[in-house]
Amino acid sequence: MLSESARMTTAEEARYRIDYPNSKPRATKVIALDPASEAVVKRLAQGQWQQASFFTSLKFDGAPRGGEGWTMKAWLSDLAGRTKDLIDEVTSADLVVMVASAGTKPDAAGVIAEACGTRKVMTTALIIGSEASSDEELSKTLASLRPYTSMLVIASNDDYIEEMLVALRA
Amino acid sequence: MLRKEQNDLLTQTGPATPFGQMFRCYWVPALLAEELPENECPPVRVKLFSERLLAFRDTDGKYGLIDEFCAHRGVSLWFGRNEESGLRCPYHGWKYDVTGQCIDVPSEAAESGFCKKIKLTSYPLVKIGPVLWTYMGPPDKQPPLPEWEFSLVPPEQCFISKRLQESNWLQAMEGGIDSSHVSFLHRGDLGSDPLFKGAKGNKYNLSDMKPHFEVVEQPGGLYIGARRNAENGNYYWRITPWVMPNFTMIPPRGDHPMHGHFWVPIDDHNCWAWTYDFHPTRALTKDERAAMQAGQGLHCKYVAGSYRPLANKDNDYLMDRAAQKAGKTYSGIAGFAIQDSSLQESMGPVCDRTKENLVSTDNGIIMARHRMLRALKTFTDKGTLPPGVDPEHHKIRSVSIVLPPDQAFKDGARDALTRKLGKAQTTV
Repeated sequence: MLSESARMTTAEEARYRIDYPNSKPRATKVIALDPASEAVVKRLAQGQWQQASFFTSLKFDGAPRGGEGWTMKAWLSDLAGRTKDLIDEVTSADLVVMVASAGTKPDAAGVIAEACGTRKVMTTALIIGSEASSDEELSKTLASLRPYTSMLVIASNDDYIEEMLVALRA
Repeated sequence: MLRKEQNDLLTQTGPATPFGQMFRCYWVPALLAEELPENECPPVRVKLFSERLLAFRDTDGKYGLIDEFCAHRGVSLWFGRNEESGLRCPYHGWKYDVTGQCIDVPSEAAESGFCKKIKLTSYPLVKIGPVLWTYMGPPDKQPPLPEWEFSLVPPEQCFISKRLQESNWLQAMEGGIDSSHVSFLHRGDLGSDPLFKGAKGNKYNLSDMKPHFEVVEQPGGLYIGARRNAENGNYYWRITPWVMPNFTMIPPRGDHPMHGHFWVPIDDHNCWAWTYDFHPTRALTKDERAAMQAGQGLHCKYVAGSYRPLANKDNDYLMDRAAQKAGKTYSGIAGFAIQDSSLQESMGPVCDRTKENLVSTDNGIIMARHRMLRALKTFTDKGTLPPGVDPEHHKIRSVSIVLPPDQAFKDGARDALTRKLGKAQTTV
């Protein structure tokens, strides 16, 4: 007599797996950390996504740091230029993806990661354009992002981000 | 998740399939040399990439891998007589050499030249170390022989086994680059298996169950780095190279032998899980070899006279619920190899990746699929050879190392990630 495992691992039995959507759409927030990655994120935003939304943090460098002028609201914006509150966006996120290009030292990553860490939201950082950049440039960006994310991916091509977001059902 | 057409692309490896064509660009392990132990020994049936083949070793010690079936009436040549530099079909006496060339048709006059018009498909079969390798692609595209370190060290430094896995090759291979499962599925064995225990690195593994990951592309595939906290703010890194499409090397632990896998499709529902252990600078000890032969480490025990694991789906993998409950094993299944195969086979013959829900720590798997699909496109569109064919891509090593927090493993372990024959591995 066949064992349970032997019977259940057949192609015939695979047909009886219940066919239903076994997950709900997850909110993924994709944030560009520098001008080159912003161009990539803008291109990505043209695609069809379940619950992904796209942002830029380029105003971070000019924003006040600390003290009375400090705010979480002044520098994050959607791709139409509307200012967004980082805390609101992170609170409603299941995953935050930060995109940086090799050679940059994105200071916004620390603030975004802190907001995510407080709310237990997973972060992933992607470094793009590694093929065209020197090891030194890449290392600089890696070192600046490493403390702030549990998953760091160095991709030679921009097309990986799209592939990853699809794989994660963004 | 993958779309159905992507899943089909990566899991179908028969001769008429796109990925099957690309997979045939590589030298792959076909048999253990021990399966053809002497000249004129019995032939061995081999199925690879959904092709039924027969391996034999002729009177002169030459190896052949040919179509299993006689060109005359379709009889299996497994019943053949291996004699006088060829394999003779017992039905009507047709005889073939190791290249598949028919060299005798007794019913026809030798002068007629009839037998010269008969040739079976054949593939080269080359012994490197304890493994017989084959290349099943177009003869004019045959690449140089593989140069994996485990196959180049002296025999006393190496041990290799294979086991049948009753699932598609891809779900087996993806287990090998899924670093985050180790802390769960295999946690019971890190401290007890003789081929793992005692390494300082185990302490880092078991004290930090939430590793951080970095995935970096390299010419032949990927480096997947898992970092955990070490002393003084440093990081303990375990770096696994994956070389396209089916090779991984697991990061070393202490002075234990290094090890890893190849996964080779038999057909779309079965694959061979090859496991190698080697030490770069010393012979394996008697105890190490005995442990490997006894099925410890990444190896397994077999059903007598076969390469099928003793714990298999027919006996529910010898599930031990008491051991599971007591925490001796996490899943109730004993041994690294069967812990993996039991779960991977439970996915079904071909995992339906349209239903999976990957998370960000699965980026190694996502990137590997991406690399393979990208390579497949350029191979199909332009005929570009995929990464991993060039023997330069084989000159890699896995590494375990402690690095300062601001140092990229790609920089800090650059030298250690390069194969150096006869030189010690970098390990913690």
